[in-house]
Amino acid sequence: MINAVLVFNNSGQPRLTKFYTQLDTSVQQRLISEIFTLVANRSSSACNFLPCVSTPSPTFPKTSWQVVESLLNSTPSRLPPLLATTPSAAATPTQPHNDTPSLITYRHYATLYFILISTSTESPLALLDLIQVFVEALDRLFENVCELDLIFNFEALHATLGEMIVGGVVVETGLDKVVRGVREQGKVKKRREVGLGGGDGLGVVGGLGMGRGWR
Amino acid sequence: MPQVFKKQKVLTPDLSSLFSPLQLITYIEQSRRFEKSLYDLIRGLRNHKGNEREYIQHSLRECRSEIRGADMDLKATALLKLIYLEMFGHDMSWASFHVLEVMSCPRYLQKRVGYLAAVQSFRPDTEVLMLATNLLKKDVSSPLAPTMSLPLVTLPHIITSSLALSLLSDLLPRLSHSNPNIRKKTVATLYRLALVYPDTLRSAWPKIKDLLMDEDEDSSVTAAVVNVVCELGWRRPRDFLALAPRLFDLLVDGGNNWMAIKIIKLVRASTLCVIFYADRLKFATLTPLEPRLIKKLLPPLTKLIRTTPAMSLLYECINGLIQGGILEGTDGAREGEEIASLCVGKLRGMIVVEGDPNLKYVALLAFNKIVSSHPHLISMQQDVIIGCIDDPDVSIRLQALDLGSGMVNIDNMIAVVERLMQQLRNAPIASRRVDDGRSHTVSVEPAADSDGEDPEETLRPTAEPQDETTALPAEYRTIIIHQILDMCSKDTYSNITDFEWYIDILIQLVNLVPITGQSTPELYGSSGRTLKNSSTSHEADASSAIGWELRNVAVRVSTVRAEAVRAANSLLSVSGSEGFFALKGAGGEGILTFVAWIVGEYVDGSVSSYHSLDSLIHPKVQSLSPMVICAYLQAIPKVLTSIVSQRLLDWSSEHKTMMSLLVARVIHFLEPLAMHPNLEVQERSIELLELMRVASQAITSHGLENDRGPLLLTRAMPQLFTGFELNPVAPTAQRKVPLPDDLDLGAPINKSLPRLLQLADQGPLAESEAAEFDSFYNKRPLPRVATGPTFNSLASLGPEPSSYQQTVDSIPDTDTVMRKRNQRRERNKDDPFYIGNDDVSSGTSTPFHDILRSANGEDVDVDSIPIMNLDLGDKTLTAGGSNMETRRQKRRLPKKFDIVKDENIEYEDSGVAQSETASMGTMNDNGPFQRARDKTKKSLLQVDSRGLGSFSLDNSESVAEQLDIERQEAQDTEMAKALAEVERLRLEMQRASERIQATDGAPAEGTLVKKKKKKKLKQLTGDIEAQFRKPNPEADGGPVRGSQDADATLIAKKKKKKRKSEITRPDDEKELRAFEGGQDASSFRSQAVL
Repeated sequence: MINAVLVFNNSGQPRLTKFYTQLDTSVQQRLISEIFTLVANRSSSACNFLPCVSTPSPTFPKTSWQVVESLLNSTPSRLPPLLATTPSAAATPTQPHNDTPSLITYRHYATLYFILISTSTESPLALLDLIQVFVEALDRLFENVCELDLIFNFEALHATLGEMIVGGVVVETGLDKVVRGVREQGKVKKRREVGLGGGDGLGVVGGLGMGRGWR
Repeated sequence: MPQVFKKQKVLTPDLSSLFSPLQLITYIEQSRRFEKSLYDLIRGLRNHKGNEREYIQHSLRECRSEIRGADMDLKATALLKLIYLEMFGHDMSWASFHVLEVMSCPRYLQKRVGYLAAVQSFRPDTEVLMLATNLLKKDVSSPLAPTMSLPLVTLPHIITSSLALSLLSDLLPRLSHSNPNIRKKTVATLYRLALVYPDTLRSAWPKIKDLLMDEDEDSSVTAAVVNVVCELGWRRPRDFLALAPRLFDLLVDGGNNWMAIKIIKLVRASTLCVIFYADRLKFATLTPLEPRLIKKLLPPLTKLIRTTPAMSLLYECINGLIQGGILEGTDGAREGEEIASLCVGKLRGMIVVEGDPNLKYVALLAFNKIVSSHPHLISMQQDVIIGCIDDPDVSIRLQALDLGSGMVNIDNMIAVVERLMQQLRNAPIASRRVDDGRSHTVSVEPAADSDGEDPEETLRPTAEPQDETTALPAEYRTIIIHQILDMCSKDTYSNITDFEWYIDILIQLVNLVPITGQSTPELYGSSGRTLKNSSTSHEADASSAIGWELRNVAVRVSTVRAEAVRAANSLLSVSGSEGFFALKGAGGEGILTFVAWIVGEYVDGSVSSYHSLDSLIHPKVQSLSPMVICAYLQAIPKVLTSIVSQRLLDWSSEHKTMMSLLVARVIHFLEPLAMHPNLEVQERSIELLELMRVASQAITSHGLENDRGPLLLTRAMPQLFTGFELNPVAPTAQRKVPLPDDLDLGAPINKSLPRLLQLADQGPLAESEAAEFDSFYNKRPLPRVATGPTFNSLASLGPEPSSYQQTVDSIPDTDTVMRKRNQRRERNKDDPFYIGNDDVSSGTSTPFHDILRSANGEDVDVDSIPIMNLDLGDKTLTAGGSNMETRRQKRRLPKKFDIVKDENIEYEDSGVAQSETASMGTMNDNGPFQRARDKTKKSLLQVDSRGLGSFSLDNSESVAEQLDIERQEAQDTEMAKALAEVERLRLEMQRASERIQATDGAPAEGTLVKKKKKKKLKQLTGDIEAQFRKPNPEADGGPVRGSQDADATLIAKKKKKKRKSEITRPDDEKELRAFEGGQDASSFRSQAVL
């Protein structure tokens, strides 16, 4: 299942936080900043996963595995320390740890990062698609969505997410249905065009990166 | 969205009665002036760059007052602002009651804000949640679909088992709602209900199953159901085998990739499970089912693999095939191989052709999963994998590395390792500091609302490729080193054909060790390879690991032992200007521990031993960490002894001078260490110091007339260190030593320990005392030896009795030493641990060893020490009747090297041995403790679904399971009864205590009244809860709900009455009304009765 959905911008300001378990506000903030630190340090050509801690294959009874694992947990490209499991917990391959959030999938659009934290039961590529659907739905709703739209209409952002994921379970992946579902709840307003030096000319959406190979 | 709310002010009768019309107008105007929409808040934040904190505090204060007002519109707006600020970490738990108020708004947009606030701000300890039950029930049954979906989306975030119990009857009918949107959300919500309250499934599962089976069902509902079934499925796959045909159809004709992926995931889980059962229990009834499923699945899956353009589906198909064990399950091995190579080929294509880092990553992930079952297939792909090791993306590299140790075999081993070495050599070392500079750390506290570079920019994926200097982070380097070591040491070095090459690699690696913050040689130093503390100290020291390997090779491979000792010697050597050779690469000093041990243990007495001793007693050693010094201290006498023993026969004056010089140097080295702050170092050095002083006297008193050296040096000291050769012992061997009957491991060694600890806690050292202690140990003057060569300082050591010059000609000193020794001997006569050395000190020629034996013969019978019974020597090569061992032996080792296996004790019960070997890698000595911790420790964000594990959906499974269910049911009802009883008692007690409080004659002050009321409220809700618990959850919702509502109104009335009897402030009155739905109390009552 999906454990959390986060959106933050290039400087780590949260734009959407949705945790499917109840967490203290301070813990949430720490998690956000940890994940941001990890994600922001990755080059744009890198892959979009912060990898799960792989369980060691049973052919290695060596204890240096534990060394490696504890290291993996502290590597910048691995899970943030808050999420890192104890090496001993990850070292028993027979016991399924499917409840543990172990995969962070992210995508970077212009000024925003979209993050999904999920368990290993989710398919990584499918999660990338899910983020894509989410962004496309926002784009439909706001017509050329940009960060400002999402700042001022964060309620609509939550509504869109609510159409796609309920309690960590994906309920809809169809773009049209998501958009229709949000619209049924009421009109989604474009942000006010007051003085923010913005206006409407936000460029054309075309290159939203649709139609990636694995869709 | 505040701007959407119409600014309508409904004047409540209370307000109009309290204010005169004129006052009212000013009141409204004022509130208008204060009122600030979310938009204004965000604008304001952006305009107050630099002092956001102040602005936010101001806004929070505003919200605080706004949310207390009567105007629902204002309330909702304030709440929305609070939600926004909560996102930046500003706690809004204080507003939880107001959240409830807004949730109960009749207007949808306000209600939505309320529900959003509940999602974002309610925590497990939010108490007002129990007040929301009725509201949620009402909204779930709302006639409007958008309103209805609000609680559906919110419930997963706030659900508790009691809430689940009371809402289940309202949620179930929603599964057959006409709107598919509602149906799919209900399914997901019910799943989360089931997690906290597993009985949900008992009533919900048949309906969910119907939804899945219904072919006319809306496709997105089916997809949602499949998602939920998958979430349930990995817990209890066997329950879902019955659904296989339908899922199969969906897979083939579904056309929804997301759903197909999910189904494959589920299928994988169930086949895995079936195989597991078939394997373990020889469960005959399930085995026939299994090949059928595989046979049926194989064609569509292979077809999908061949045809699908969707990479995600392709990937999951392959993943499912391989992980589900379908490859092994096929009848013909040829067919299986065919499919396997098809899969691997496709994966290879993903890496090579697509060039997409994500695909590369997942393909490697899949390889990683295959590698344990099909290593040969992966070895065939080594070219791509090695290519990925050089990928700029560290994630991909790590995956490839993980794969590396799995795929290496005797042929490609050297190539792979050389490749990695090259990478380590060529990449510049990225120091930690640089790394930190790059990373932006977000300050959590101030909500500086800065945007990205250009917030106006339309969201599109960033695709500009970035040139990146491949400076490897230190952690990655460490991982590479560990991986290299793992590859090489795999299966007790079965892949290594050339150990000289390996030692060379190890030496090179020492120089490539990155700078780590703090080396932790303690990890290895005392407890050897068991890295018990590795979880606590994150810095596992790479150089220690290298040292471990070097020692391992030296111990196990006797043919290259000389080579290893030479390497160790070179690592040990200290050159004046550069310091330690081993530390030249700025790596940790952890390796020195091992190197010192090797040198000490396998010193051969050749010329290089002098060199070794020089290194060991170099003044710079004193600055090393305590554990390293300890290792040095053990090595010094061993080396010294070997130097002595090689010149046994020609005891000349020249030799005598040289020996006494050596001993004096050692003594000189040890003296400052006797004051070392570390107790371990102190103790060892004092022991050694005493021995050396004795030796020095033995040398001086030993006349030249003998052609043999003093016996203490030639016989006694070697006896201390030589004896049995040390062999590697399996980590599990200790556990197999039978526990003696009379040994109680639970008994405390020191019974007064708790008291001592308590004393230590109570009375810390007085300030002056502590300072004295500190200065004695830690602020001692730096050892003189640290400056200049040893020999210069030797001259200045005149007055000390133990020094070289002094002892040569001062006989009286020997007498005092003798006297002291005699006293000590008297003291320690009865101490069995004290080795008596009666005559040796007098310099007679009785062999030390014989004395030792005769002195201890009565007390200690060496042969009866249980460890001798193990007879380890014979089993060196055949030990361990476990699978692991035999498998290792199947691989033919190259003849040239004889690698000593771990010693172990043969065990009759092979089953136990097997399980022990299987758990060897993962278990430490504190295994049970860790397991216990695993149980309790839960990862952050984790949703606990253990409750589902014991829950069965299929009632017609087997008699045993049915019994199990019945027993559980009985337990459940019993537990429920007990809980109800406890609750009742608690309420009674509470009531009683309140009565007492009331009779205490509390003054009727506002604050006190308020407090009391809150308690009452809680108690009343408790009553409601108790009433809810009584009716059967499976009973028809209608009449029960009616009665409950009636109860609620009754209670509400009661509340009302009570409040009227006491004088309350208007604020509270308003709060209550808002809670009752923001409506007139009478209308609420009528509605509820309806």
